[in-house]
This record gives sequence, C-alpha cells and structure tokens, in this order.
Amino acid sequence: MKLKLYRYHDGMTEPRYDTFELEPSSGLTVLGALFQFQQKFDDSIAFHYSCRGAVCGTCAMLINKVPRLACRTQVAALLNDELHIPLSPYPAIEETVDWNPEEDVLVEPLPHLPVIRDLIVDMNKFFDFYKYIEPVFKPSDPAPKKERLMDSSSVPELELYTNCILCAACFGSCPINGSDLQYLGPAALAKLYRFYIDPRESDDNSRLKRADEPRGWWDCDFHGNCRRVCPKEVPPLIAIAKAREQLNLEREK
Amino acid sequence: MTVSLKHDDEVVTASSLVSIHYHDVIIIGGGLTGLRVAIQVSDAGLDGAVLSKVHPLRSHSVAAQGGMNASLGNVPGEDGTTDSWEMHAYDTVKGSDYLADQDAVELMCREATSTVYELEHMGTVWSRLENGKIAQRPFGGAGFPRTCYAADRTGHNALHTLYEQVLDRGIPTYEEFFVTSLVKDNGRCIGCTAIEIMTGNVHGFLSKAVLLATGGFGRIFNRSTNALINTGDGHAIALDAGVPLKDMEFVQFHPTTLYGTNILMSEGARGEGGILLNSKGERFMEHYAPKSMDLAPRDVVARSIEQEIKEGRGHEEGYVNLDLTHLGEDRIMERLPGIRQIAMDFAGVDPIKDPVPVQPGQHYSMGGIDVDIHGATLLPGLYAAGECSCISVHGANRLGGNSLLETVVFGRLVADKIIEENNKLATQNIEPIKIAVHEVESKIEEILERKGAENFFKVKDDMSKSMFNNFGIYRDDQSMHEGLNEIKKLQRTLSNLSPNNKNRAVNQTLIQFLELEGMLKIAEVVAYGAIARRESRGSHTRTDHPDRDDNRFLKHTIAFLKDGNINITYKPVKLGMFKPKERVY
Repeated sequence: MKLKLYRYHDGMTEPRYDTFELEPSSGLTVLGALFQFQQKFDDSIAFHYSCRGAVCGTCAMLINKVPRLACRTQVAALLNDELHIPLSPYPAIEETVDWNPEEDVLVEPLPHLPVIRDLIVDMNKFFDFYKYIEPVFKPSDPAPKKERLMDSSSVPELELYTNCILCAACFGSCPINGSDLQYLGPAALAKLYRFYIDPRESDDNSRLKRADEPRGWWDCDFHGNCRRVCPKEVPPLIAIAKAREQLNLEREK
Repeated sequence: MTVSLKHDDEVVTASSLVSIHYHDVIIIGGGLTGLRVAIQVSDAGLDGAVLSKVHPLRSHSVAAQGGMNASLGNVPGEDGTTDSWEMHAYDTVKGSDYLADQDAVELMCREATSTVYELEHMGTVWSRLENGKIAQRPFGGAGFPRTCYAADRTGHNALHTLYEQVLDRGIPTYEEFFVTSLVKDNGRCIGCTAIEIMTGNVHGFLSKAVLLATGGFGRIFNRSTNALINTGDGHAIALDAGVPLKDMEFVQFHPTTLYGTNILMSEGARGEGGILLNSKGERFMEHYAPKSMDLAPRDVVARSIEQEIKEGRGHEEGYVNLDLTHLGEDRIMERLPGIRQIAMDFAGVDPIKDPVPVQPGQHYSMGGIDVDIHGATLLPGLYAAGECSCISVHGANRLGGNSLLETVVFGRLVADKIIEENNKLATQNIEPIKIAVHEVESKIEEILERKGAENFFKVKDDMSKSMFNNFGIYRDDQSMHEGLNEIKKLQRTLSNLSPNNKNRAVNQTLIQFLELEGMLKIAEVVAYGAIARRESRGSHTRTDHPDRDDNRFLKHTIAFLKDGNINITYKPVKLGMFKPKERVY
C-alpha cells in the first residue's frame, strides 16, 4: 500500500505528489500514515492533528476524493472499499493525479479553502461564515437562580446539531461552496438552526432571518454530500429544509 | 525604560522585525480553563488575549466525555437522601487518598453547583431528566449520582459554549502560537515569547499577568488517552522560569481505554451499568472492591485490571472486557453514543452487540505547577489553573467528573484574583521582552544548525515507552532508577539532534522537537518525585513500599530547577474537615 500526498508551499508553481510505501500495521489510520511519512520520509510535511480520536475536528482532508477525518479513517478499510461514500460530483473531486483506489491512499487538502502548505488549509473563511450566523446563546428570559428547565424530549433534536465539531468536511464536500464563494455552507447553517430550535431562546423566526438571503438558506441544492461525509452525522439538509418551510409559512401569512 | 503601548501595537525594532503585543492579561491555552478566564477578564473590562498552539476548539477539553460533578441533588441517593457540597468534598478528599488540600476542595465543591448553572445559562445543552432538570449519573468513588452530563460529550458541549462566548466578546485569540518562554523582570513575570507556527516568526507578549492553562503532560507516556498535543508545555516553561512543580509523580491511569489506540472509554459507561469481565467471564471487581465494584475510584480499578492481566486472567494481548451489551441499544444510543462510535471506528466493535476490549492507560496529571488557593505561583505575575496547575483538589487520585469542574470553577476564581491584582499595576518594561525574543531566535538557529543525523522521533518513542514501563501503574525502586537513567541518556541524545526540516514557516517538526525537550524535563521531575516517595498512595503504587505512610509522606512533593538540576523538597498538606483514614471501597 502506498500513500500519495499532495505537496505545496509558497514558491512552487504547481503542487506535486509524493509517493511513499506504507508499513502496514493493525489499526493504521490515515493520520498514522501521515506520521509514518513525517518520521521516515520527509519531516517537512505539514498537516493538522490533535485528538486522534475523531472528536476535535482538526484533521479533515480529502482522502481518496472524499472529505474525511484522517484520524478516523482506517487505511485497510479504505483500500478494501469498506468506507465507500457516494458523492454528488463537483470540480474539486475530479481526477488530479493517477491513483489506484485499491492500492493507494490519496491525500489532498480539504477543498474550497486556500492551501497554506501541503495539507493545511486556511480555515478563516469557514469560521467567518460560522461567526456571521452569531453563534451564541440568546436566552429569551433573564437567567434564573438554578438551571432553566428543558423538556428532555427536546434534547435529542438539539444534539443532532450540537454534535457538530466544525471540522469543515461538509464545507469541502458541498458543490455549492465550490461554485458560490459567498455561500455560508452546511455547518454554519446547521449551527444557526441549533440556536433556532433551542427551547430556551425566543420561539419567533428572528434567528432564521439572519440567513434569509441568497447566500444562506436559499443557496442549497440538496446534493446531500454534507450529511454523507459528516463524521458526526449532523443533518444540515433537514435544518435547511425546515428553515425554508418556516420562512415560507411566514411569508404566506 | 517603559514604552507605553496601545492594544496590540506592533513594534518594529531596528535590527529585525519583532512583533511585540501588549495585553493586560496573557492567557496561555485555549481549553476550558483558558476560555473561562478570558471571559471573566473581558467582563471586568480588561484586555486579555488567548494564545494557543491549536485552534481553541481543538483543545483536549473537547474530548472530555463523562461529565462534571456538582451536588445539584437532582437525582436522589440510594436511600432517598440528598447530596450536599460536604458529601462531594468528602468523596473528593477520600478519593485523593488524603493528599488534596482541603481548603481548595471545599472551595471547588461549594462553587460546583453555581458553575454547572453558569454553563447552562451560557447555553450548554445538558442531558435532562424527565422533570426538565439537569441529569446526573453515578461515577466512580462518589456516594451520590452527582455527575452532570451531556450524553458522553460533556467537554465538547462545554468547550463549544465557552468558545461561542469568547467570540461574542471579540476576545483576541492568537491561534497556532507555540509559547517558548516566560519573561521575567525584577522578579516578576511580565510576559512570554511564542513562535507563530504558520510563519515561524517569534513574537513577544508584554502583560501585567500571565496565566498558564496548558493542560496535562500525558504524552510522556506511550499508552495515553490524551490528545497528541498534551505535551506539558506550560510545565516546562514554568520549570525553566524557576517555578516549582508539585506532586508530579501522581499520574492517573484510567482503567478503561480502548485496546490498541488507548482512546478513552468513559467512566460513564460503568456509571450507566457497564461491567468489567476477565477472560474467564468473571466480574473480577467483586474481589477487589466488594462494595463499589466497577465504580470504585480509578486507581483501584486500574490496579485490579493490571493484576488480572499479570496473573493470566486477562486476554492474551493484555486487555479485559468492558461489557455494555446488557444495557440495551436504547440506553447506549441515548447515553453513550460517542463511545459506541469510537469503539466501532477504532476497534471495529459495536458495544451494543459485543464487549469492548479495554486496558488501563495514562489519563490525567494530578500534579502540576505549584499554586496557592488563588492560582498564584511563587513568581509574581504568573498564575496557573486547570490540569497544568496543582492547587491540589485531586491529591493522589482524581475522581471522574472533577476535572471539568476544576477547569471552570478555578478559571473563574483565578481570573478574579488576576483582575484584582491587575488594577494595581503599571505597564511593565518592554526591553526584557525584546531580549527574550532574540534569545529564542538564537536557540532555534542553534537547533536547526546542528548536524546530528539520528532521527529524533525515536527519542520520543523511547521516552514514552520507558515512562510507561518504569513509571506506570506499579512502580519499584530498581525499575524507576533504570527509567531515570534512560531519561537522562535521552536528554543528552536529543541535545545533539535536530529536525531535518530547516524551514522556519510551518515547521511542525521543530515544534515537536521543542515539545520533546520539555517532555524530557517533565519526565525527569516525575521520576525524581516517584523515587523519593517511598510509600503507596492513590495512583502512586510501589510494590516495594505497598502501604501509605502518613507519618513520612502526608505531604506535597515540590520540585524545582536550580543550576540545571532538579531539587526535591516537601510542603505540608492542608487538612481540614476530614481526618486521614484507611480508604475502603
């Protein structure tokens, strides 16, 4: 098995691909493979890592043409085609280099964000969109002495969205994020919806209005790549569809 | 000479481009503690900034699973009794094997309920009971179902909440800045230096107060639940600045880490009713802790598992099973969805159908930078809070659910102390910061110019293996001395090595190299503390001194650097409401 890596830094006219023979070991993940490359082949390789347990969201990259967390992706399962995720096509996942999905692990930077070096992308744009939706709790009442009571049955729906780890895999998988540079993207919209449905906030539609514009709720074409690549099974499409329904209802009034 | 600087001015010196930033308070670390401090400092009208070697959301706090202890009393105890902060304090002190300082424990437990409510008020989504109150579950070593939780993603929910609050306040964060040194002037900490990882530039930071909130040093051990970034950077720069470290030999080994990767399987799994089984299918905890069984404190359960494995009743590869199958799919999906996913992703096991292979692994650093009850170190102007500090609420063994609590309680309280002090101080002298930046530049140049051909990554491997083998769950004099010799040898080896990558921009190998230098110092401190403590207490278990010895060792270990050598002294434990007695579970 081989690791085929995208390499780029300032001063290069175009990216190159390095190929490295991997030492197989049980439980080897793509992140583990990157450390092998760093320690045995070229220690100038740049990539993000932290928790190595699929909870911190820092290592999303394009792996065999699918945005995934490197730490969660098992090399053996990938080569055995056990991790197949069918994606609605978009330019960033078209062929860039020869590779054999049965033998090679092709690792490239997450699409739709500028490359800083090798596999590190500049996440500012992603976080700017996240900040744009005002991701902070705005309770409808002043804080009580103890906790606000909350219907336990409302928690599961909220958790669908609070589970987001802001890894941007969805952003890199969304065909609209590739074509419309202003589109807020699935993660920001799902986060906005999380606050909208929080029963401790006001029950009007003011939250939804924040993204009631072409670059917000209305830009999505329901390709569904976001949900398919999400390592935490967050469903932005449901959020977007329900938000549109609410806004349409209000307009009809 | 004092140069007065406005917020975040960039000062250009004649010799080279040096960025020096001014903030009232520099907060090093962007986990729960660092962010909680930042919020408090901002609300007091001061200018605080967060420096972190990763984006704050990638901090290890995000991985905390099980929960946060507070005597809310939302769930009654076994015989209908109600929880209290005193009961929480008792469990914590007993869990600590009486090494915790009881004034700090009392403070933490008194402040616990308001801290959980505070997070709720900021928007954290806690799991709820039928009656709408925050849900609580049983945890190891606790007399009540006291642990508030957000499924098994409590740290994730809390960290995202605090990050949202930090963004809302527009608090400056320097992301991917690796702190290289603390700067002193006239016996006071006046700031720090840091490498901006993406450019390789060294920056200076001038402030009236510096707070360390850099987390634990778990990665000096090869089997660890910790994130790869937990390299004890704060401990290392504090030690270099002459600040003492306390009780560093007390390292927690969590009983249930996933076999193979050592990713954490929350204690909440046993809190929800999960049980441990040896290779014969026996529920072996009934032999070791007949009353508490699988929910005995972590040191007890970790030792029990290790003993089962050593005596041939574990599975051959060195693990036992954590069985959740009897809990049923609904309960697992509702309460433990995160660890189910981890077991499936990283071990190919679905806990709904099959038991999960687990083994003990390093999890937490009870010891840390020596601070008083206000979070102040011996160096004026320097504070520490959270896992990197030792205010001593955990003593010799931490209870599950008390670390998240510590981060947020002391984040707030230490910030209050910093705010109080800050208002009395004038702006500090900028010159020592400039000198410190140049010193770091020279050090980096020296390292990158070295010709050592050997691969330095091997040093890291050798260190972490040696630490687990010689300073793991069971320790004895001979193997610890072998371990110490190995650490010293590795320090000498590293001093001749260098990364192959000589770039300055985005040189992550250089960062790993600098981390490793610090880790080897910390490993040495752990070793000296462990060798000198000739007793067994909490997580520190010596086969050659199996009993606790209150006459000689009911005291804190203090380690500091003098003339390049580690010195060990002791200081008394602050006792209080609870007199030391034998720990039985």
